[in-house]
Amino acid sequence: MTRRRTIITAAILAGTLGLTACGTNREEGEGEGGGGTTAGACDTSKGTLIIGMVAPLSGGLSALGLGMRNSAQLAVDQANEACKVPGYELAFQAEDDQANPQVAGQAATKLASDENVVGVIGTLNSSTSQTVQPILKQEGIVQVSPANTGPALTLGENYATAPARPFDNYFRVSTTDLVQGPFAANYLVETAGKKAIAVIDDGKTYGANLAEQFAQQAQKKGAQIVAREKVGERDTDFSGVITTIRALNPDAVYYGGEYPVAGPLSAQLAAAGLNIPLMGGDGIVDATYVSLGGRPGDLATSVGAPAESLPSAKQFLDDYAAKNFTEEYSTYGALTYDATNVVIEALAKALANGDYSAERRADIVAAVQETNLQGASGEISFDEFGDTTNKVLTVYQVEGDSFAPVEGSTGAFEG
Amino acid sequence: MLSTLLSQIVNGLVTGALIGLIALGYTMVYGIIQLINFAHGEIFMIGSYGGLAMFTYLLPTAIQNQWYFALPLLLIAGAAVSVGVAVLMERFAYRPLRNAPRLAPLITALGVSVALQEAVRVFYPGATAALPFPKAFVEGTWEIPVPGGTVPLRWTGLLIIVVALVLTFALNTFVNNSRMGRAMRATSQDRDVARLMGIDPDRVIVLTFVLGAALAGVAGVLNGVDLGFTNIDLGFQNGIFAFTAAVLGGIGSIKGAVAGGFAIGLVKALGGQYLPGGTAYDYVWIFVVLIAVLVFRPQGFFGETERVRA
Amino acid sequence: MTALEKDVVTEPGPAVEPRGRLAALAPYATALRAAGGLLTVIGAYLPWATFVLNEGPYPEKATLEFFTAPFGVSGFRLHLLVFGIVALVLAFVRTLPSRGRILRALGWGIVAVTVANGLYLTVLGGGFGAITAADGAVAFGAIVALIGGALVLVGAFAGGLGEQLRWGRPLGRYAEWAILLVVFTLLLLLVAAVLTSGGQGSVANPYSGAVFLSFLGAVGGLLAALHAAGVLTWVTAMSERHRAFSAIVLLVVALALPLTGAGTQYWMTVAANIGVYAATAIGLNIVVGLAGLLDLGYVAFLGIGAVVAANFSGATAARFDIVLPFPLVMVISAVVAGIFGAIVGSPTLRVRGDYLAIVTLAFGEIFVRSSQNNIGGLTGGSNAIPGIPPVSAFGQAFNEKLTVGSVELPAGALYYFLIVVIVAAVMAVFGNLKNSRLGRAWIAIREDEDAARAMGIRTGPVKILAFMIGATLAGLAGAFFAHKTGTVSYESFRFLESVTLLAAVILGGMGTIPGAVLGASILFVLPEKLREFSDYRLLIFGIALVLIMRFRPQGLVPDSHRRAELAPEAEPPPPDPGTGTATGKVAVQ
Repeated sequence: MTRRRTIITAAILAGTLGLTACGTNREEGEGEGGGGTTAGACDTSKGTLIIGMVAPLSGGLSALGLGMRNSAQLAVDQANEACKVPGYELAFQAEDDQANPQVAGQAATKLASDENVVGVIGTLNSSTSQTVQPILKQEGIVQVSPANTGPALTLGENYATAPARPFDNYFRVSTTDLVQGPFAANYLVETAGKKAIAVIDDGKTYGANLAEQFAQQAQKKGAQIVAREKVGERDTDFSGVITTIRALNPDAVYYGGEYPVAGPLSAQLAAAGLNIPLMGGDGIVDATYVSLGGRPGDLATSVGAPAESLPSAKQFLDDYAAKNFTEEYSTYGALTYDATNVVIEALAKALANGDYSAERRADIVAAVQETNLQGASGEISFDEFGDTTNKVLTVYQVEGDSFAPVEGSTGAFEG
Repeated sequence: MLSTLLSQIVNGLVTGALIGLIALGYTMVYGIIQLINFAHGEIFMIGSYGGLAMFTYLLPTAIQNQWYFALPLLLIAGAAVSVGVAVLMERFAYRPLRNAPRLAPLITALGVSVALQEAVRVFYPGATAALPFPKAFVEGTWEIPVPGGTVPLRWTGLLIIVVALVLTFALNTFVNNSRMGRAMRATSQDRDVARLMGIDPDRVIVLTFVLGAALAGVAGVLNGVDLGFTNIDLGFQNGIFAFTAAVLGGIGSIKGAVAGGFAIGLVKALGGQYLPGGTAYDYVWIFVVLIAVLVFRPQGFFGETERVRA
Repeated sequence: MTALEKDVVTEPGPAVEPRGRLAALAPYATALRAAGGLLTVIGAYLPWATFVLNEGPYPEKATLEFFTAPFGVSGFRLHLLVFGIVALVLAFVRTLPSRGRILRALGWGIVAVTVANGLYLTVLGGGFGAITAADGAVAFGAIVALIGGALVLVGAFAGGLGEQLRWGRPLGRYAEWAILLVVFTLLLLLVAAVLTSGGQGSVANPYSGAVFLSFLGAVGGLLAALHAAGVLTWVTAMSERHRAFSAIVLLVVALALPLTGAGTQYWMTVAANIGVYAATAIGLNIVVGLAGLLDLGYVAFLGIGAVVAANFSGATAARFDIVLPFPLVMVISAVVAGIFGAIVGSPTLRVRGDYLAIVTLAFGEIFVRSSQNNIGGLTGGSNAIPGIPPVSAFGQAFNEKLTVGSVELPAGALYYFLIVVIVAAVMAVFGNLKNSRLGRAWIAIREDEDAARAMGIRTGPVKILAFMIGATLAGLAGAFFAHKTGTVSYESFRFLESVTLLAAVILGGMGTIPGAVLGASILFVLPEKLREFSDYRLLIFGIALVLIMRFRPQGLVPDSHRRAELAPEAEPPPPDPGTGTATGKVAVQ
């Protein structure tokens, strides 16, 4: 009885599979040889070069990491279509670092041991970058991070007193906390006129440092930091923190951290009767911030001039949408796209006179240093430490259900 | 400041009610098969996604904004999804290990917990990041006037407290007065004798999981409604807190679980306010309490001192 | 296995116990086996893919006919060919009593290889058309080989499995030494081959995962066949007789890994990380495997060791401005971690079983939260402690390449040597403790704490000692970890890492010496080799934990003499006396 049923089931299953699933994804018009998968007519006779990425593709931070992966993929695909690097096909290889420094080191070693890796994009977390930097340095591979904000990565541990660049192959298109925090403080204290500010962070590298730099500058500008609190990474109900600061009557809250906490935090502030604006860094500038509870009037800073004023930014958003990725580009999408293009441009420049070999990686690093690119986040070039010279930031304010740039707020931080 | 103290107490009560609801599942399952069902926190999390899926994919737009229609449906959906997952989990992960040595089910529970959280992350659309949750209740705050200020209480927070108390009362009545409840108590005291008395222990155990999961599912939806969002990390931390609450109250005791929940909520809120280190260490205080209770009074507030365990 | 066994335990006649449901097929067993072998051989020669996949040609010329070059097969096709031929031959060799078992192993091997390749082709090729017929091309290699494997299996069961072969009267000492030497060298080559199979996955090498899985299936089939043929048992018995010799040879073999194909910087880094986790897992194995005390916050001890080492390393963010030599740092790290081990272990005096697990979990969470908050300025908080200099000795930094004479060692090889020595030392400690008075006391406590106490074991101090020694070993590994990784961040010591360590111990086999090392290796190598599944890594991990507890709770290398915590038992376990209610019976020493 059971056996017969099994046989019948199996037969039906096999039949259905045979009838419905006998397709293939064979791409038409494909040539016989050498795995040329792009249909474009580029000359790829000299082989394949790899642009690597180290980012968290699994686990809790994967939303950000997968957005980075897709954005870099987009840049690489476009470069292949446009034959940006004559003679070569570019390939993109993303490695998961699980947001764990040790695994990041492993991933970086894997990329570093491949002769054809010309550059690495990433990482997301500053702590993972700390292990990736020396490994890539050994092989002279250029690293461009779209998301690291820890000042020590480019300026050395004594960044405040005696800045010294520890790794000459490391660059970033993101601004450091040293710029973004104080910029926000200047705006909030001087322009918005807030004098009693509660500072909250999530205890992670990005948030804690940003909040720290903000607090220092805000005090310098004469504001009072009425509270300095932390929320847990996994916390969802912030009423404890909110009650603590409510008693201190702040007129604004600065939050160092990312949108998944910032949105709900803002909503819960309002629910507790604190109708004061929440301000954050570029980590909270996300399409879902408002749907997660962000309120009109909330503020954020973001790198570069407003996207609407830059055709390149608009172009990125459209191209990303056209690719139909399953994941959002998320916070670091545009910066990752730029970081990837920095490497591609440098590669094209370095290979303009001669073929690629591992010895030519130094030329790529040199070319990255000389970058001058109009990216989705604005003008990109690097200073002597490998930091972006684009220290222009813009203040955004929630209007309706999205962030809109505040008129006249775009500017560079001048101390 | 009085208003701050009272506000923190109110915060603690809301958190505590939620944790108490989850803790009921821990306490019942542990009481009956001596399993720390680590995955119970994930059942709570899955409940919130069940409610969210109901709202996003099934609920007609016409009644999405009418909370008195939407909320009961969300609660039912959340509870149903939680119950479904819990029953499958009991059947395929725990039941085969019923007679295995005691570490085996605990490690299985860890595995189930990781797998459930990841399954939601991988398969629920958009779950890699936090998702907005419908505010399917009266929004706003009741400002309770006290000398020197006001104490804010979200209406949704009040809802959680009321629902938790009502459900606890109902559960207590069920366990103490119904035929099935008697069977549960009998099974928890001695499974073999219960079997001799004509009770089917498998049915009783499934029922225990169903009740616990339904409560966790309700808690998941309420938490979403209260906070306006949900994410896949919710389960782990709240699950541990709930377990702590269950132990604190005396494992196996229904009243104890809820009392323990309130106690944990108050420790978190007041510890973050008044103890050194502030909110950065509130989490640590809960674990300190947990260790202290386990070491010095493992039977909890309401536990029996000489509990005969199956 | 004693030396007293007879040469070969011969079975009277073939087919002893044909399995119930397939018994009806017993008369056709030989035919089934032969047909299966033949089909496998044919499958190996048929084309496997109907077209060149979009990612590039599938390995081993899957789209081509092979009858034209019958001796040119390679890779998975060669594996299938060999398996098929052996199955075909065994079908007709009636004198071998364990051939049913061997055939079963071969059958599973064939199925594994076929399924791995077939699934990859199907998924990457966009449907079953890729492995059947599409656009006028036919490619039934996978289907035919799968049927072949299935027939071999059915034939094996139908004809009866027979006994596992036992052979090998003890040979002379030197002969056995020579055999062991050869076997361990082969083992080294096998490990290197598994690590390098498929090459490094990259966009230029999209099928590395497929090749690796297929190779793994083939190796699994081979090892199972050897086990069925009694070879493994024979070798194990031999190495048991020459423990010291085996240990030395194994150590040398392990140290020789950098000289094989796996001697790249990448694999040295992975191997060093495996070593860290293996050493820690052995420590955990003392606590869980021997003493039966479940610890869910164990990675904190690794963290404590790493933090201590980082603070004495001369890194800019270190709390102390003292740079101590690495060996001294290791000792300090181990001691400090051991002290914390004793503290964490002290609740064992009053708390038992699952409650103890929760207490340890709580300690682990307190460690993470405190180090995230930079407690005492010791942990660097959210900034971590970066820039820890590499270990160096005699002017040679351990993270750089080294050339000795004409041999060039890859970067990281020195770290690898160091961790091998550490792991070997930790294994020696574990092995000696296990067979000592203390070890027997732990095992007694694991089996029945009250009985142990009645036998005069001072259970309190003995349990705390388990925590302390385990933590000491983890602290030792932590010091290495700090220098190797170069950054110590609270993010490396979260709850999930504790679960991973526990999984390593369970997967390998609780209470056994090679178990923890094997478990840690598997848990690290698989995700590295199969990075294309990284999105599902944790999902698979969770499901795997459940399945292991369900089907093989004793692990891959079960402890031979233990009626263990986790081994399946005939009868339900004795009631667990008063977990958590042990108030009345506290530590009477």
